[in-house]
Amino acid sequence: MYIPDVELHEATTLEEAAALMNRYAPDARLLAGGTDLLVDLKTGRVSVGHLVSIKRIAALRGVSAADGSLRIGALTTITQLDRAPIVQQRFPSLLEATRQMAAPQIRNVATVGGNIASAVPCADLPPILTAMNASVVLWSPKGERAVPLETFFVGARQTVRSDDEVLTTALVPKMPPGFGAAYARFALRDGNAIAVAAVAAGLLLDGSNMVRDARIVLGAVAPIPKLVESAGAELVDQPPTDNAFHRAADAAMRAAEPISDLRGSADFRRELVGVLTRRALTSACRRAKEPR
Amino acid sequence: MGVARTLTINGDAYTVAVEPAETLLDVLRDKLHLTGTKKGCNAGDCGACTVLVDGEAMNSCLLLATEMEGKAITTIEGLACATGGDADAAQLTPLQKAFVHEGAIQCGYCTPGVVMAATALLNRNPNPTTDEIKEALAGNLCRCTGYAGILRAVQRCKSSSCRVGTAHQSGHQPAGAASANQHGGQCPPYNSVGVSIPRVDAADKVTGRAQYTADIHLPNMIHGKILGSPIAHGRIKRIDVSQAKALPGVVAVVTGADVPDTLYGVSPARYDEHVLAKDKVRHVGDPVAAVAAIDERTAEKALGLIEVEYEELPAVFDPLHAVAEGAPQLHERYKRNINTHVDQSFGDVEKWFAESHCVREETFTGNHVYQSPLEPHASIATWDPDGTLVLYSSTQVPHYVQYMMAHVLHLPLGKIRVIRPAVGGGFGGKAATTPLDLCAAILSRKTGRPVKMVYSREEMFHYGRGRHKQYMKYKLGVDRQGKIKAFKSEIYLDGGAYTSFGVVTAYYAGSMMPTLYHIPNFKYDGYRVMTNKPACGAMRGHGVPQPRFAFECLLNMVADDLGIDPIEIRRRNAMTPNTRTVNDLDIGSCEFRATLDGAEEKSGWNEKYRRAAGFSPRGDAGDQGASQDETGRGLQSARGNVRRGIGVGCGGFVSGAGYCIYRGQVQLSHEKPQEHFQKRSIFPHANAIVKISEDGMAAVLLIGAAEIGQGSDTVLTQMCAESLGIPVSRLRIRSEDSDISPLDLGAYSSRVTLMAGHAVSRAGAAVVDKMRPYAARMLGCDESEVVARDGKLFVRQKQGSGTFLPPAADGDAAGTGGDKKGPDPFFCPWEEVARQYFNDNGPLVGTGCYKPPEGLGGDYKGATVGTSPAYSFGTSVCELSVDLETGKVKIERFTDYHDCGTAINPRAVHGQVEGAIVMGAGETIMEDVQFDERGQILNPNLHGYLMMTIKDAPEIFSGIVDSYEPRGPFGAKEIGEGSTLPVLGAVAHAIANATGVWIKDLPITPEKILNAIREK
Repeated sequence: MYIPDVELHEATTLEEAAALMNRYAPDARLLAGGTDLLVDLKTGRVSVGHLVSIKRIAALRGVSAADGSLRIGALTTITQLDRAPIVQQRFPSLLEATRQMAAPQIRNVATVGGNIASAVPCADLPPILTAMNASVVLWSPKGERAVPLETFFVGARQTVRSDDEVLTTALVPKMPPGFGAAYARFALRDGNAIAVAAVAAGLLLDGSNMVRDARIVLGAVAPIPKLVESAGAELVDQPPTDNAFHRAADAAMRAAEPISDLRGSADFRRELVGVLTRRALTSACRRAKEPR
Repeated sequence: MGVARTLTINGDAYTVAVEPAETLLDVLRDKLHLTGTKKGCNAGDCGACTVLVDGEAMNSCLLLATEMEGKAITTIEGLACATGGDADAAQLTPLQKAFVHEGAIQCGYCTPGVVMAATALLNRNPNPTTDEIKEALAGNLCRCTGYAGILRAVQRCKSSSCRVGTAHQSGHQPAGAASANQHGGQCPPYNSVGVSIPRVDAADKVTGRAQYTADIHLPNMIHGKILGSPIAHGRIKRIDVSQAKALPGVVAVVTGADVPDTLYGVSPARYDEHVLAKDKVRHVGDPVAAVAAIDERTAEKALGLIEVEYEELPAVFDPLHAVAEGAPQLHERYKRNINTHVDQSFGDVEKWFAESHCVREETFTGNHVYQSPLEPHASIATWDPDGTLVLYSSTQVPHYVQYMMAHVLHLPLGKIRVIRPAVGGGFGGKAATTPLDLCAAILSRKTGRPVKMVYSREEMFHYGRGRHKQYMKYKLGVDRQGKIKAFKSEIYLDGGAYTSFGVVTAYYAGSMMPTLYHIPNFKYDGYRVMTNKPACGAMRGHGVPQPRFAFECLLNMVADDLGIDPIEIRRRNAMTPNTRTVNDLDIGSCEFRATLDGAEEKSGWNEKYRRAAGFSPRGDAGDQGASQDETGRGLQSARGNVRRGIGVGCGGFVSGAGYCIYRGQVQLSHEKPQEHFQKRSIFPHANAIVKISEDGMAAVLLIGAAEIGQGSDTVLTQMCAESLGIPVSRLRIRSEDSDISPLDLGAYSSRVTLMAGHAVSRAGAAVVDKMRPYAARMLGCDESEVVARDGKLFVRQKQGSGTFLPPAADGDAAGTGGDKKGPDPFFCPWEEVARQYFNDNGPLVGTGCYKPPEGLGGDYKGATVGTSPAYSFGTSVCELSVDLETGKVKIERFTDYHDCGTAINPRAVHGQVEGAIVMGAGETIMEDVQFDERGQILNPNLHGYLMMTIKDAPEIFSGIVDSYEPRGPFGAKEIGEGSTLPVLGAVAHAIANATGVWIKDLPITPEKILNAIREK
């Protein structure tokens, strides 16, 4: 349970980080909070000769708001995100992810960028951010590109990010009036537990209380945070009723690709997806109706 | 090779060579020897390594030391207040003091991490709510306290008005854990016994000063690791260690060829383990080779360079398959893999089933539960120049370790010195000699250097010795009134690959059943079966919790069938004092009915349970009872889908096994004559020496009883101080070193309070006896009239009832008493008498010992298992809610009453109950070691193996009923294991009450609940 011999490079600029990655990839990994990566190195799940730490790149820290949208620096810790006044005031659904994630000691170290870029199927931020139409900014010496989260993930622990790209920012767009989001998750214990299944919902209601847009994103039940368009389609142009939520939940259950493991069988996870979809939609709908 | 880095730790700048991949935890512990920060899991799951970095709590096992430059690091060592003062207050922060006084500390291994996390919380939020406290501490696992004391301590420290208690606050009653001592307001007749003093080791543990085995660093020490088998069953064809030996830094490599041929184990009739595999491996992780190197990292690397060629053999993992003809055989000597078959029959069950009004038959299945103490097993061995082996071991049973080391290494016991440093929890998992103990000794002898060996969390799971998973087929017959007429039990125990404690486990699984209820006819068939999994052993409640769970469930089902209230049916069958059970166990004191009455009343049982119509296991939908707290759990449980349930379970345990694990006297087992079993103890099971300092101001209690977190040092100090007649503050205990302290068999079978308690009380009394002639001369009375109390020697007052009443202690230093009406109040200072004794005779020393009563148990095979001088009894009521859509169970409240005889330290009793409830409840709903089809453990870590966190733990009320056990010291009996036994059944019953379905398969997971509801 020791981290094998590895060279640690502490980059102070993005350029430096990209150069180091160019030089050592694929025998290198970017290191941010390290709460996943260091455990993976200790247990041998990941084996590389070089770690490129980006922790000293100050520009990657901090949460800021402009015109109602949210910019989250990749090195922002989960705790910092959770405590950011703008998040506390305006983004209660993000808190549902930050507060159920792991434990304080982890949240004080783990970063938003790491939680997204590691692309672990049960990660908590990707589903809710996807439901909120968020995107990530990938920086490389060749330039920056913004990638919507729904196209960022390719497979379990795989993304479209190339080795010399650094995820610098998560962008949550301004929530239009009538938009509400929520994150519902199920775990086997109340504290410090990994999600067995999770569902994030984003719901946009128009002035006549009809659903104009609905995004249902599943966590921990597919290789990637899965945006279920068929579930959203069940809701669009309908009033947000329990019946409609049930239909969306059924669609979400059909779309889920759960596996069986020590935390539960595929059937159990699929059943949870239905329950959590209804709960997330109910909560998102309540928020959508709140005056802002 | 490392790079010099400057780390700012507790305000001091340390420049230290750091490897690039080195964690802050390893630098703190191994390079700076700041060992207050503990390594519990090394994966961020347990929080024992929590430090503050720039004020925020972080797991130091997940931080690279290199990246910590320029940050302010605070460890537990950095919390001390600069202000001195009285000994009690010295050097502790208000939070630490609250931990000391609220029972927040038991084994102490999680304590530094919890204190750091709570410190971070209070610094940021001086007045946190209960939920905020729980959230802040959710990353810190505690296996001992059930979090109740921790929560009280942090709550007490809220805001700046942290009150600091005094050392002796007997009257303090914590919310939710009030003592229900029904003494009717009468003061117990003791000064030190019956008082909730803080633990004697609390200050050491809360400051990180307590040294656990892995914290100890000896000069020239090297580090060992063991290579485990990667396959579940196979023959070793070839081992090549040449590459490992060639690795720079490797000092020695040993394999099966280098270790003695002697087999070892626990049950003497079934020694079946080699230190390292000689030819076969029988489970994943079975020890194959061991390496010693200049550091642990190098040793670990060397393991990867050992080449082993195996011939893989078919393996078997299910005991029900393993007993079939033609199944793979683990050991030649155990035909059909049956390690032990117990066949006991008392009375005539078939006749009485036929005559029963109601007969019900059910099958139940248990789970693989692992003790998971926060402190991993560890050993350090070194050899003195005279050939004495010195072994530091994290063990519950120093004497049995000494005995087994002697057996394997062919050394006289007298040439083995076992030191038991602070132990971070055991629960039965440290009740046997480990491969670490043996390999460290062998590697140390080979290299001439001290060798330290510590299990990783994963290696702990592979070493095993957890609870046996049991498959139970039960049949219960009762009459029209619900009185038990006959009970038949058939149990298959999944033993794993070796015997360990298993013979005893198999017997306990049956023998304890008739101790709780009157069972006139009882038949038990037990089979312990070998499978290709880590050996199972003894865990809290040894063999009994799963059978007890099954019995309690079955009794509740029968109560439902008959329409009798579940508590009432227990009352009708409850054990009564001074009874010989059908299997010849002698019950002495028994206040079982009082525990039923207490739990029934305190929990509001009648109102809550009877509301469920017809007493069927059916709960009310939605919000049952206006008195229930709002437990809005956000999205996890929309209110309409939540059902509440209430359930009851009972249990009890022995207060120490009646017989030693091995036969005969303390002697190298190879030299023992063949002897038949005798129904008496050959030697005393507990032995104590009290040595008085030459000035008479202090006493030192020497006893080898193992403090493993349960609080034995504290209660033994209390009992000894009581019998010496001095305050606890004048007594120190030394229990850690076999060179210093006489033999005690250790912390297993809940034996310490009763057995060691007798030894220390007798040793104290022996000291007072030696002082009598001197005191009598000074007091002018007869020796027999001398009484020691409060640091004084008095003349016993011959008043009415003859009970002793000390004169008012008015501080009259002349020792003449304030009242001049006669010679009665006359007293002399304890220390003056002790000095006079010393002047004439030299050292003032008293000894005491304890042998269990002779002749315990019946005359049938296995009659010894279950014998004890005394038995405990308890009742638990569980209240919980179940989310019917997800199957999620939230255990909300426990009400527990126990008969533990006299509570020597009520706070310690409550601490055992609180810890047992949380462990037992977790065991019922979430704990399970899972294996794949090749015998690999799927969850050998603390994020896969789930134990309750502070957020999962219920609110607990613990009550103690008035009871006195004549065979116990000061009337005391056990609490540590008996408190686990009622829990599983109570949780299962409450789930059935909430959902309307019985789930008879542990753990009762959300998935099983949903499936059962669907199939209803």
